[in-house]
Amino acid sequence: MLVFEFIILIFVVSIFAGIFGSIVGLGGGVVVIPVLTILLGVDIHFAIGASIVAIIGTSSGAASTYVKDRVTNLRVGMFLELASASGAIVGAAVAAYTNSPLLELVFGVILLITVIPTLMKIGEDIPKSPELKGLSKRLGLRGAYTETDGRLIEYNATRPVSGLAGTAAAGVLSGLLGIGGGGFKVISMDLAMKLPMKVSTTTSNFMIGVTAASSAGIYFARGDVNPLIVAPVALGILIGAAIGARILLKSRNPTIRKAFALVLAVAAAQMILTAIGVIH
Amino acid sequence: MNIRDPESMNEIIGNVLRYGVMVSAVVVLFGTVLLANSSGTSDTSGILTYYPNQVPHGTYDVSFQGLITGLASFSAYSWIELGVIFLIATPVSRVLISVFLFLAERDRLYVAITTVVLALLLFSMLVTPFIPFFHA
Repeated sequence: MLVFEFIILIFVVSIFAGIFGSIVGLGGGVVVIPVLTILLGVDIHFAIGASIVAIIGTSSGAASTYVKDRVTNLRVGMFLELASASGAIVGAAVAAYTNSPLLELVFGVILLITVIPTLMKIGEDIPKSPELKGLSKRLGLRGAYTETDGRLIEYNATRPVSGLAGTAAAGVLSGLLGIGGGGFKVISMDLAMKLPMKVSTTTSNFMIGVTAASSAGIYFARGDVNPLIVAPVALGILIGAAIGARILLKSRNPTIRKAFALVLAVAAAQMILTAIGVIH
Repeated sequence: MNIRDPESMNEIIGNVLRYGVMVSAVVVLFGTVLLANSSGTSDTSGILTYYPNQVPHGTYDVSFQGLITGLASFSAYSWIELGVIFLIATPVSRVLISVFLFLAERDRLYVAITTVVLALLLFSMLVTPFIPFFHA
């Protein structure tokens, strides 16, 4: 393939990756990695390096819109970043000493299992908001945003410690494999902390850039960030994220949940297939 | 815009992210144009080969000196790398700015939380690549 053909192909793929990634809160890596590895035969290390760039691009590109529109909950995001940032360091430290296919398989299976409770809540518009008490109250983990139909949705978060634990797992996974953190972040906020779906995906989207940036240094130094791949990825992703952010703000929670469940299942399948060596 | 007003925090953080990605996109685009111009009709295989037994694993320079000389000589790779560095710096600046915004709000708890996050982030970005324990 010629360089300019490759650039155009990856640019177009990345626009779609940015649209999906910014809506479901997983970042664009989940689309970019299989296209690079399975379709184009690019080495998985380069694909993960590109995924890191894709995640940071999706996160920052869409978050500017979400934050200004107050859908993202800044306090929830920054509080949970304590766990994802610590988890990422632990993940990077153990990466060199553990059997990563086995861990990847375990995480992939856990992610696949979490699709079930996510699906059981399909159709849920706004969760019944719990009373604000204890640690959540002390941390100010509440918020309000305007729904597509103009309703002002006020909500409180519950079980912040479970949220931290789930997000720590997300961080370990990101530090270990460079991928996969977004799914656990959304699930932590959706299933444990009972936040509205939109708040969960956009707050995850807000956080994944920081988690990805924390491992970016090591991938960059190793030379896994290949300029030919990441240039069209970054440009496409940023355009896609801007489009995706506009779509999310016009979408209802049940639609976003369906998209999330679908992408989560694909991400989980991808991790399992990589672990057993089908994707390499 | 009054930074003591909690409502303006969203605006400021939103702007930091927006301008960060804009600068990054312009620089990456410039590098991509240079790349298409210099080697658009070459085959990709040379650049896409992964060398597992050498570090860095690619055929491009990732050292600081290499970056500077590359930028000066309008090397496509160096300009793309600079754009990517701006992109990576965007969420980091967002965390840094948050510390000051919470300081302005006199929200001590969140000043502490964001400071710890910033420290963890800088540690894993800048320090862990140089600790052998993290490579084994």
